[in-house]
Amino acid sequence: MGTFAARRIAYSIPVLIVASILVFVFVRQTSDPLAHLRTSRDPTVIQRERVRLGLDKPLTTQYVRWAKDFARGKWGESEVSRRSVGTEIRSKFWNTVQLIIWAMVLSAIIAVAIGVYSASRQYSTLDYTFTGLSFMGLSMPTPWFALMAIQLLVFEPRQILHLGEPIFYSVGLHSAINHGFVDYLRHLALPVLTLSVQLVAGWSRYQRSSMLDVMSADYVRTARAKGVPRRQVLIKHGLRNALIPLTTVMAIDIGGLFAGLIVTETIFSWPGMGQLLVSSLLQGDTAILLPWLMVTAVFVVLFNLLADVLYGVLDPRIRLA
Amino acid sequence: MRATRRSLVLVCVLVCLGLIAAACGDKHKAAKGEEGGKVVKGGTLVLAAEQEPDCTDWIGSCSGSSWGYWTMGSPTLPRAFDVNADSQYVPSPVLSGEPTLDKGPPQKVTYRIKSDAVWSDGQPITSHDIKYTWDQIAHGKDIYDKTGYEKIRDVDDKDPRVAVATFSEPFAAWKDLFGAFYGILPSHLLEGKDRSALTKNGYTWSGNAWKIDHWTKGQEVKLVPNPKWWGKKPNLDAVVFKFITDTAAEFQAYKTGQALGGYPQPQIGGETQLKSATGINFKPSEGLSYEGIWFNAEKPPLNEKAVRQALGYSTDREAIVAQINKPYKPDSSVLQSFFPPGIDRKYAKDSYDKYTRDLKKVDQLMTGAGWAKGADGIWAKKGQRASLTISTTAGNKAREIVEQLLQSQWKEAGFELKTNNTKAGTLFGEWLPKGTFQVAMYAQVPTPDPGQCVIWCSKNIPGPANNNSGQNFTRLKSDALDKTWGPADTELDESKRADLTKAGIDALAEDVPALPLYPKLTIVVWSRTIGGPVDDDFTLGPFWNMHLWFLKK
Repeated sequence: MGTFAARRIAYSIPVLIVASILVFVFVRQTSDPLAHLRTSRDPTVIQRERVRLGLDKPLTTQYVRWAKDFARGKWGESEVSRRSVGTEIRSKFWNTVQLIIWAMVLSAIIAVAIGVYSASRQYSTLDYTFTGLSFMGLSMPTPWFALMAIQLLVFEPRQILHLGEPIFYSVGLHSAINHGFVDYLRHLALPVLTLSVQLVAGWSRYQRSSMLDVMSADYVRTARAKGVPRRQVLIKHGLRNALIPLTTVMAIDIGGLFAGLIVTETIFSWPGMGQLLVSSLLQGDTAILLPWLMVTAVFVVLFNLLADVLYGVLDPRIRLA
Repeated sequence: MRATRRSLVLVCVLVCLGLIAAACGDKHKAAKGEEGGKVVKGGTLVLAAEQEPDCTDWIGSCSGSSWGYWTMGSPTLPRAFDVNADSQYVPSPVLSGEPTLDKGPPQKVTYRIKSDAVWSDGQPITSHDIKYTWDQIAHGKDIYDKTGYEKIRDVDDKDPRVAVATFSEPFAAWKDLFGAFYGILPSHLLEGKDRSALTKNGYTWSGNAWKIDHWTKGQEVKLVPNPKWWGKKPNLDAVVFKFITDTAAEFQAYKTGQALGGYPQPQIGGETQLKSATGINFKPSEGLSYEGIWFNAEKPPLNEKAVRQALGYSTDREAIVAQINKPYKPDSSVLQSFFPPGIDRKYAKDSYDKYTRDLKKVDQLMTGAGWAKGADGIWAKKGQRASLTISTTAGNKAREIVEQLLQSQWKEAGFELKTNNTKAGTLFGEWLPKGTFQVAMYAQVPTPDPGQCVIWCSKNIPGPANNNSGQNFTRLKSDALDKTWGPADTELDESKRADLTKAGIDALAEDVPALPLYPKLTIVVWSRTIGGPVDDDFTLGPFWNMHLWFLKK
């Protein structure tokens, strides 16, 4: 397994390098880190900044300079704000991880419960209901759902019940006045709900399908024939084995989720990696964009690797080569 | 099993009730006060900020963020001058009276500081602070804008309450100095140290009504009253600016009471949202920013004055204003010069008011210049068709609407107009400086000072002489413009200066390097729970008098 992991990591390095070159060139060609200075009345400020940021050098020289510094751990400063790139990414990274963890836990619990129930009560009314809801969840655009959630869970209850404050919040990590844990949960609820909709929709389908496969296996039939209680068959024999494919899907989805939080974080003003990406893109701040890409890419690669390794760990029949 | 299910249901009900109770329970914590206009003390006001500043080193090149200045700079920095609602420069509370101008030569400006003007640590604000600020700007590296400061030869600070700035050459916009975005910095805290490192991530000192309590990057900035402020003390306990960058989320925040005010960008169709939202006031204003159409006078056929004038008569600017501004502000009108309402009207003249849509004048001008309409109805001369391409920032709905209006208006007048829009970075970073455009549409944001040589004088056409950094993107070389706008930058007599600017506007209306369209609107939004004089200031932003606001019940 160690050889397998090392080989996978080695394959990832050229992928990361090529991706960083493409993003560097694309961002430099399409954005202008000096845009905010264009209205300055000082005619020399643009030229000074061009020299300071090395923008007067050829593109290859700029990339090589950045790549060397990055490899040495010198992530430098934002081209626009002069804040440390490392500090920026670290603080935003933790805010995004919080969202991911909560969304994953909530989605896993709900998706597994739905999948198990649907498989055990296949073709029941509730099974069809869950199927319909899953397809709705998969096809619902995230921004639409987020704004509807704000309207229905923040605005309407406040109006109808004449509350001083909304029950749930849609802006930021915490209130201006109250920074307690309950306040934090009230801020977390809607972004997590928004992320969970599509996760639950997809995972519940996986879980249902996986449970149906497992429940039709010979060893399950044997267990039932031996008189093992239905509940024990379902949980101990069925669910345990049916969780294996879902676990690997979840591991892959975490990686994708990390990169896909942009819309959710923007709508809920959640100060995470997605928001950082949007602001850096709009400002053409390659000093942040490139480390952002590398951090995200490493995250995705790691979790993909974890998915493969996990499969081998959970299912002893699988040997990684 | 039944007991477990019942327990689960009970827990869910209790959690829901708890959440509702929490939402009710905070009702009286966030807002205190009485009904009506009586001023009451206390409470924390939460406002929305559309952008987070990159840094708070206001004189550094990482600054230049309007939102940064509105939320943190303006409430905390002492200044020499403020600009009032009539676009007049008035001495700020730091000064004991109007600074005196000695026209010289050499030009000298004397600032007298109030005896009770102190920093938040109790140290007096002195002439040395003015000297330090000048020195940092004029001689520092990576400074956002040195205009004017590099023309000061020295600042005399012998008297701690009197600063005398001596200029090496006349500088007419001296009232902009030590004000606007820069203010005055505390020398006793910053001198001899790395000013940028100490200020860029926020600071706790202040020489104004508020000071920064904390700035949590990506989330919020909180201001609290400066206990040493010698002016009218704030009524509120604190003001918190939440950074909400998405416009839809911002409107939701107003509707749901998570933000009690803000300064959103006017959006097409956004006025219906604001009008339909209950409990919210909004006020559109016309300030310093304006939209214009800019011709590249080096590119045919725009190198002919007759063509540029004809385009002026081809454009129905009233129709454009009706589409863009009037939904928010019914009394908004066409801009008849390049002086928006935020600039003192004594310098302005409505010389462009002759340019109303008049197709007969178009025909007269074009035929007089040797053009004739082809079978397709488009003017042509010596094989060249009057086909133009307009460029603006991509994805801007308002500008796309204006382009569509121009296409139909100009087509009727005999001009073909195509569009070629691009990203802001490409437009401002490449096409405008390099002149690879024909017609452009974008906004200018001047200071309240009427000097505009930077965009009209020939010496500011981007080229090798100025390292391609000039901002006269129309590239029109005109003696009339040089002889008016050039001296207007150095004429210290206000009435002579006004004569020069008016003559300069006449020259612009004659040569037509550009067409002014409309002043861009700003919108202040505030909840009806906010009392006090909520209003916009063209340079200081809408939060300039927050210390006078209060929270009603």
